[in-house]
Amino acid sequence: MNLNIKANKNNTFDAIVVGSGMSGGFAAKELTERGLKVLMIERGHEIKHIEGYDTAMKQPWEIEHRGRTSNISAEERWANSRFWGLGSEEVVNHLTNDKENPYIEKRAFDWIRAYHTGGKSMHWGRQSYRWAKHDFEANAKEGIGIDWPIRYEDLEPWYTHVEKFVGVSGQKEGLEILPDGHFLPAMPLFAPEAHFKNKMLERFNRPVTVGRVANLTQPQDIHTSLGRASCQYRNKCQRGCPYGGYYSSLSGSIPAAMRTNRLSILHDSIVAEIIYDEQKKRAAGVKIINQNTMQTEEFFAKIIFLNAGSINTAALMLNSKSNRFQNGFGNDSDQVGRNLMDHQLGSGAQASVEGFEDDYVYGQRPNAMYIPRFRNWGNDKQTAYLRGFGYQGGASREGWESGVTNDGFGADFKQSLTKPGPWSIRIGGFGEILPNPNNRIYLDPEKKDKWGIPMIVTDAAFVENDWAMRKDIIASAVEMLETAGFKNVTPYDRPTHMGLGIHDMGTARMGRDPKTSVLNAFNQVHDCKNVFVTDGAAMTSASCVNPSITYMALTARAADYAVKALKKREL
Amino acid sequence: MLGGAFSAPTLMAMDNWESSTKSISGAAFSLTETQQKIVAAITELIIPKTDTVGAKDVGVPAFIEMMLKDCYKAPEHQSFMEGLASMEKVKFLDLNTDERRGVLKLLEQETKKITSKTPPFWRLIKELTLLGYFTSEAGLKASFEYVQIPGKLELIKLKPNQKAYAY
Ligand SMILES: Cc1cc2nc3c(=O)[nH]c(=O)nc-3n(C[C@H](O)[C@H](O)[C@H](O)COP(=O)(O)OP(=O)(O)OC[C@H]3O[C@@H](n4cnc5c(N)ncnc54)[C@H](O)[C@@H]3O)c2cc1C
Ligand code: SF4
Repeated sequence: MNLNIKANKNNTFDAIVVGSGMSGGFAAKELTERGLKVLMIERGHEIKHIEGYDTAMKQPWEIEHRGRTSNISAEERWANSRFWGLGSEEVVNHLTNDKENPYIEKRAFDWIRAYHTGGKSMHWGRQSYRWAKHDFEANAKEGIGIDWPIRYEDLEPWYTHVEKFVGVSGQKEGLEILPDGHFLPAMPLFAPEAHFKNKMLERFNRPVTVGRVANLTQPQDIHTSLGRASCQYRNKCQRGCPYGGYYSSLSGSIPAAMRTNRLSILHDSIVAEIIYDEQKKRAAGVKIINQNTMQTEEFFAKIIFLNAGSINTAALMLNSKSNRFQNGFGNDSDQVGRNLMDHQLGSGAQASVEGFEDDYVYGQRPNAMYIPRFRNWGNDKQTAYLRGFGYQGGASREGWESGVTNDGFGADFKQSLTKPGPWSIRIGGFGEILPNPNNRIYLDPEKKDKWGIPMIVTDAAFVENDWAMRKDIIASAVEMLETAGFKNVTPYDRPTHMGLGIHDMGTARMGRDPKTSVLNAFNQVHDCKNVFVTDGAAMTSASCVNPSITYMALTARAADYAVKALKKREL
Repeated sequence: MLGGAFSAPTLMAMDNWESSTKSISGAAFSLTETQQKIVAAITELIIPKTDTVGAKDVGVPAFIEMMLKDCYKAPEHQSFMEGLASMEKVKFLDLNTDERRGVLKLLEQETKKITSKTPPFWRLIKELTLLGYFTSEAGLKASFEYVQIPGKLELIKLKPNQKAYAY
């Protein structure tokens, strides 16, 4: 690249953060709170907290297609609408228009994206689980991929730090597989779930707990000082919450960074390249393209945090070529874009529940029931596959929808549907996927998007380990629901691809050896220490728990390290 | 994943995965006046006006036509049209209410024998009638206890004859 560094006061900052989503928001908060002047660059349009939640207060009849995906939405959001409910007008316009932002599926990959302030943190399911110690050790023990350069203990204080700020409701269980955190009061399990919990403990010695979820059951000062209030139990979080009842970058980290007066946010600005200074042997800044005007501009900083989401972060690195990095920025190891992981999703079982006719619920619980991993754990040893899965799910009383498949019509039928129907229950697995260099994204050598940036190609798929685990996810779900005494136990197995777990990660992994990894133990690019990658790209393995809280903990830890290093003039 | 348990509507929405990956382009869809009359008559038999509003009162027939056009594709359109054709064949509109009910009962039973992947006519019209009615303002408010902002989450005991909550 032709280097023409025209740094001036207006485009120079202490730090640049690429992306305003879950991890970028947290990076901006941590860096500004430590005194740095930060520029956050977001490729998508601006959404303002509360004001921007245009569908949040819509009543059911105001949603034109009543939650169904219209043909237009399915065409425009051809990837996003593959995920349950994301095609609904409640949220669809907040997800990326795939037609305008296409990617190439060499092998099908369900890439769910939200290009706007807050990124996917606006729409996430808020399930928040710490990793187990074992998760950091499994690769080394089993000889899979490479070893993590850190252990649970390195992250432990940062989990606490993140949980306090985010506000995670949960039940302490004292389990090694699912370490307890700093929790707000737990939400209740419903009656059939409590029954299920007891049965599972009694018959299998398997714990069941209520989901650990980033909704404020009892806001603390750290939350209310940002204008966040108690959850109102509407369970319409995905539309954005006017109360700030759940955590997102919009409700939490960005306002916290803003109140330091040290954060500037640039919207509609696609970071296309990292500018590498060959003389100083460090990244100088970034080049952006305005998504509307196509104009390019450069910004400079002492340190850069990449938080564009795993796939986009890897793509950005691959697209940043220089004399030093001819194979893509920080890509001496050829691992950038590789080892793409996710959690497999879409299989499990459901059943009808007899009894509990008097039990009902007021309010909508924005949460589920959680069954921690029990496979290849403790005394359990599976021969067909490595690692394990957790289940999420829960019980609910059927509504009028049961009338669709049940016989009947007319006055009595109409009347019967106004009463809460029988309970049913459902559990679905989230399975760990192993790092595999052949599961990857790369840039198409010829095709470009409308901004002239090479298009992203997805080339990843489940392998044998995943299919064997999937079989067990289904069989174990059936066994557990049957053992609990539920009726009509029915397995389900949706056709899905990688990506649908929306936990894409691993494309610039951490490790000790620059030959086999991209980042070091503090998320610094091995060969360019003033660039940090702290989104899911950094992950060396995937665990089976939802990852966002781990991304945020890694981010906070790296930001703390970066600022200390800056002060010591090590960066 | 989405918060909360998978409820029936999310189960139905799951089918979107398949329809969104099938590349069957949306076809033009519209009903003749007679067909509209048949649709209206059937929806009103499914959800009749009683001491509360019925399907026709809340605009279900027009809703169904809109939904078929906007959210369904050629195979469902064809299935729906075939159903309407068989209704025209039995001169549905010339029948009295009891006879019409008899036809629908028969249709309900016949539908169970159909194994095709495309939802049959009865399933389509019934599902869309219920969706349209129970999510309409008047239908929802007449049928359920509508709570827009619960404010709390509480395990409760159901009172006799208590209606379901809608949110
Ligand atoms: C429906 C749904 C349910 C989920 N449920 C859970 C859950 O229960 N628990 C959990 O832990 N996780 C969940 N997730 C996943 C969670 O949202 C992600 O793990 C998390 O948001 C990832 O954070 P991130 O910062 O890496 O990426 P994002 O939050 O996606 O943010 C990336 C940001 O970078 C921007 N960007 C991308 N490329 C560029 C570029 N070149 N230049 C500038 N900006 C760029 C994007 O526009 C976006 O704003 C869920 C996600 C969805 C959609
Ligand atoms: S459930 Fe709670 S957090 Fe979610 S939208 Fe409702 S009030 Fe907000």
